[in-house]
Amino acid sequence: MKEYSQDLSSLIDNEFDDQEIIDAVLGDVELQQQFSRYQLIGDVLREESDGLDLRVDVTDSVMAAIAGEMQDDNVVPLTTPEKQDTNVVPFMKRFGQYAIAASVAGVVVVSSLIVNQDNATDASSTPVLNTVPFGGAAAPVSLQATPAQTENDIKERNERLEALMKDHQLQLQTKP
Amino acid sequence: MKHRLFLVALVSLASLIVSPQLMASSEQTQSQVVKTEPTDLPSALTYLNNMKQAYNNLNYTLLYLNTAQNQIQPKQLVHGIIDGKRITYFTYLNGTMRESLQFDGKISFYQQGNQPYSLLSHQDQSVFADIANFDFKSGNRSYEYIILGKDRIAGKKAIAIRMISKDNYRYSYIVWLDLDSYLPLRLDIINKSNVILEQTMVVSMSISETVSPWIKQLSTQATPDILNLPHNTTTEIADWNVDWLPTGFKVIKDDQHKLMMHDTDPVSYLMLNDGIVSVSVYISSKKALLADQKNIIQRGATLIYTKQIDSVEVNIIGEIPLVTAEKIAASIKPVN
Repeated sequence: MKEYSQDLSSLIDNEFDDQEIIDAVLGDVELQQQFSRYQLIGDVLREESDGLDLRVDVTDSVMAAIAGEMQDDNVVPLTTPEKQDTNVVPFMKRFGQYAIAASVAGVVVVSSLIVNQDNATDASSTPVLNTVPFGGAAAPVSLQATPAQTENDIKERNERLEALMKDHQLQLQTKP
Repeated sequence: MKHRLFLVALVSLASLIVSPQLMASSEQTQSQVVKTEPTDLPSALTYLNNMKQAYNNLNYTLLYLNTAQNQIQPKQLVHGIIDGKRITYFTYLNGTMRESLQFDGKISFYQQGNQPYSLLSHQDQSVFADIANFDFKSGNRSYEYIILGKDRIAGKKAIAIRMISKDNYRYSYIVWLDLDSYLPLRLDIINKSNVILEQTMVVSMSISETVSPWIKQLSTQATPDILNLPHNTTTEIADWNVDWLPTGFKVIKDDQHKLMMHDTDPVSYLMLNDGIVSVSVYISSKKALLADQKNIIQRGATLIYTKQIDSVEVNIIGEIPLVTAEKIAASIKPVN
């Protein structure tokens, strides 16, 4: 086969027209591949490849190599959690979860409280905006002395407002 | 010849006498046409009822903005009909993923970072539902409907209709409808000084003949578990009742239930409804004493009103003016 290389080269350069060699090339797959590689090299050298795909087709060899490999079975199937039989879960168990209606409401309460505090110094704020009082402006409303509002009281009050808002949202969702 | 002249004169004379009559009669028919034309135009009530039909029966996608207290939230609503059943998909377009899907008597909530859950819900919870499903005909006891005029919303020709409250105990609305499809395009909630408290404005609307394939596929997916609400105490009616309600309002829920808090005392609960707004009234034993005896938080149209009377605390939440909340709170009486 080696001796054909020179002939192939001549064939490419159109300097050779030996019918015998041409027949040999037509009959030999390996020679044909070599011919095509020479053509490609020539094209590239002459910058005539014109964006020609230079990728060598290795699919066949890779596929062959893969077929030869032993398959390692180290892929573990995902374990799906057991589905509960009942579709209904006790509400209290899922305390934290019903937070959407809730979370919408939560945003409302919290942000409005913040808005209110910001506006506390701003006299031009909407008159209806009244804040949950901060920092014990204790008004004597009865004989029983009103304890000054502590941070804790305020926190509790906000929590309660939020609980009310959440409940309101929930009631809206399930109204008859 | 003379005869002929006479005849012509006679005919022309006759035509002179007849023609004013003819003209008069044609004028008369014309004026009749002019008179009947305004009654042929749909009334505000017809438009509103068309809106109800369109909102509940068309396949559409709305992109809209919700504005309250300088905060704007863009949202999306996809609505369709599958085998005669309505399906509604809703999502917030900004921030955390928050979605809900209402179909077949259930509403499911999905939120990033939280477990999804479903609730049994038979009322449409979508954005224009409260207004669109209002019984406009009997609602004219509380509201007056007036066509304000034509406008352009979301690139569509729209007609604005004002629903004016007949008293000071509820807010008024202006609703804009698409003149082609009658879908609502904008809704303003306004107080009695005509200040816009909340606004919902559609920015993009698309209507399709068939249901969106995407929500059709959603409808076939399994929904999250249904939350079993604590009904343990709801057989009892509330210990308190209201003596006064604004016209059109009815008590639609009356029970005692626990709040989602660490304390376990059930509160007495009433839900008041006038067909558009729902107001929650909570009556509980006084917890911490407020510095002020009453407390008001207002956000958009929603009011959170707290008042302590003797040993009880009343909380009222809903889209009502302050004066209404005050009157309701003042009318609370124990049930014997």
